[in-house]
Amino acid sequence: MQSEARSPYTPIPMHVLHAYYESTDRSLKTLELSFDHAADSQAFFQVFNPGQFCLLSVAGKGESALGVASAAWEGDFVRFTAQNVGSVTSALHALKAGDALGMRGPMGNGFPLDDWKSKNLVIIGGGCAFSTLYALTKHVHHEDHRGDYGKLTLVYGTRTSGLCMYKHDIAAWHEDEDMEIHQAIDVPEDNWLHHVGYVPDVVRQVAPSPVNAVAVVCGPPIMTKFTLPALVDLGFSPENIFTSLEKRMKCGIGKCGRCNLGPKYICKDGPVFSLAELNALPADL
Amino acid sequence: MNLILEKQALPGLLQSWREQYDVYVPQKMERFSHFMPLTEESVLVTGEPHNTRIPPKALFLPMTETLVKFTRFGGYEDAQQNVQPRVVFGIRPCDAQAIQLLDTSFIQEGYTDPLWLERREKTITIGLGCHQPCHNGFCTTVGYGPFNKSDLDALLTDLGDTYLVETLSEAGEACFQDLSPASDDIYEHALEIQQIAHDQMPVAFETENLKEKLEQNFNSKFWEEVSQSCLGCGVCTFLCPTCFCFDIVDETQRKQRVRNWDTCMFRTYSLEASGHNPRPSRVERTRQRLSHKFVYWLDQVNQIGCTGCGRCVRYCPVGIDIRAMLRQAQTLPFEVSHAV
Ligand SMILES: Cc1cc2nc3c(=O)[nH]c(=O)nc-3n(C[C@H](O)[C@H](O)[C@H](O)COP(=O)(O)OP(=O)(O)OC[C@H]3O[C@@H](n4cnc5c(N)ncnc54)[C@H](O)[C@@H]3O)c2cc1C
Ligand code: SF4
Ligand code: FES
Repeated sequence: MQSEARSPYTPIPMHVLHAYYESTDRSLKTLELSFDHAADSQAFFQVFNPGQFCLLSVAGKGESALGVASAAWEGDFVRFTAQNVGSVTSALHALKAGDALGMRGPMGNGFPLDDWKSKNLVIIGGGCAFSTLYALTKHVHHEDHRGDYGKLTLVYGTRTSGLCMYKHDIAAWHEDEDMEIHQAIDVPEDNWLHHVGYVPDVVRQVAPSPVNAVAVVCGPPIMTKFTLPALVDLGFSPENIFTSLEKRMKCGIGKCGRCNLGPKYICKDGPVFSLAELNALPADL
Repeated sequence: MNLILEKQALPGLLQSWREQYDVYVPQKMERFSHFMPLTEESVLVTGEPHNTRIPPKALFLPMTETLVKFTRFGGYEDAQQNVQPRVVFGIRPCDAQAIQLLDTSFIQEGYTDPLWLERREKTITIGLGCHQPCHNGFCTTVGYGPFNKSDLDALLTDLGDTYLVETLSEAGEACFQDLSPASDDIYEHALEIQQIAHDQMPVAFETENLKEKLEQNFNSKFWEEVSQSCLGCGVCTFLCPTCFCFDIVDETQRKQRVRNWDTCMFRTYSLEASGHNPRPSRVERTRQRLSHKFVYWLDQVNQIGCTGCGRCVRYCPVGIDIRAMLRQAQTLPFEVSHAV
């Protein structure tokens, strides 16, 4: 959404509240950002919806699209977890508490939470794309919203246990009666009590019921590619399977043309699409 | 309103607009014509049987422009563009039509590009119809035409020693307020010229079911065949009046973030940080170029995203011809879709 205050290309001034490594190998870093101006915070939270993303800006380096990994109720800040893969993300990794940076957003549609009310949710994530699913789970799990949804099932896979993000909450969720959580790593490790294997296989094994349920999948392309058919085999209809897409992005507002998938712009019309919608679009990912 | 303008009086009229406006007219630049600011010495180019090389979209979406300024303490400021009220004279109907198409992308509720909008609001566009068919153009094939009025404030028809001026908005009327009205006979005569020009444009390819054919043959060998000799230079998209893709880059020395024209014909355009590229070769990139114009624009606003200006045909260094590609596409198999 457009603000009156500044051009949609001009980042909102933010600063780092907390910065910490999310994985033992230091490839993932979480930044919690707070707004320099209360008006920007208000405008942000008026429209923010889990599943949306922002463009984080480091002057002189550029911008990177990152999914929002926090729920609105957590407080007056926005959380992101960035994998260090290139110039902007390495600049983001260099930031510490108190540093200034820019942010544009929230962008995109986010998850269709209103349509999902009263349904059972099957949330399936892998790798660092789990960030927006973390925001979703935190939102749904909050006492103010929990009653709106049915059963909550979470499947979360990472290559190793060290790459598991948000460990504190994940550990707590294992103890939580209200939620069924299945965690997986790709290869066996000592003292690992949960699944070993790839997410699509774990999904088949756990076999969540498709009755009155929606499934939402976010992960690396290869995981998504094999998880979607697994869900179809389990009886989920394409209308009830959702995923969040990524493509290279620049403007984030459907202007620069870069992220098109057929006639849709992932930044503006997505990034969340149902499998039914995807099936009607060209295979240009 | 229909008015008569003596050709002799045109230079004086253009100069008189300079009191109120920045005036842009096509002028010679090396071997090509180009929209440039009018000065006392400017020589207007109107007689060429084709368009300027660089389309006038550049007046609304400059090849490079500042989006954001970096301030001293890590902050950001909107770029100021300081656009004066302008008249663009001599814009051809295909290029004006392209501006209208671009409006549908740049001006959307909640998603308007402020830089584009400001330039649009401050610009009066005066068109010059094409009374002789241009080389390589195919405007009528794609549903537009040599005297198309879309997005113009006034349209001129060449009648020999005079122009018929059809004003199409208040701003257009104001530009020509001192002219005398055209008689009905002259107007009829101009319409005839317009009709003849329209009828002289050859049909370059059939558009019926073209969208369905391109859509349904997304994975066809066809794309390999038509992209075989492509160099991936990007000229066809750079000079296209409806192409609008841009890159955003930081200029550290100048402390600013700019946007530059970009093209889907480049490999790096869609290359992701992971190394994955959804369009790794010219096959996929050619498919994107054609599909955008002849499939996706139709899905989005129910208009073909090509105005038939002919530039991609004229300037492709290896002679790839979009008209031939689309004629070949017409031979592809397809099923009638019953979707509404
Ligand atoms: C909607 C969306 C959500 C994302 N969420 C996350 C997240 O939560 N955590 C995370 O670690 N990563 C996420 N990514 C990927 C992340 O944006 C890229 O890894 C990052 O932009 C790479 O930039 P770089 O400058 O470090 O790398 P470089 O290789 O130096 O990038 C060069 C340029 O390419 C662009 N770029 C390259 N790859 C991508 C890509 N996959 N997506 C978008 N732009 C790209 C960048 O804009 C940058 O300007 C997301 C991407 C999208 C589209
Ligand atoms: S101008 Fe010709 S060679 Fe260059 S990218 Fe376009 S089709 Fe390919
Ligand atoms: S990132 Fe520019 S159109 Fe999507």
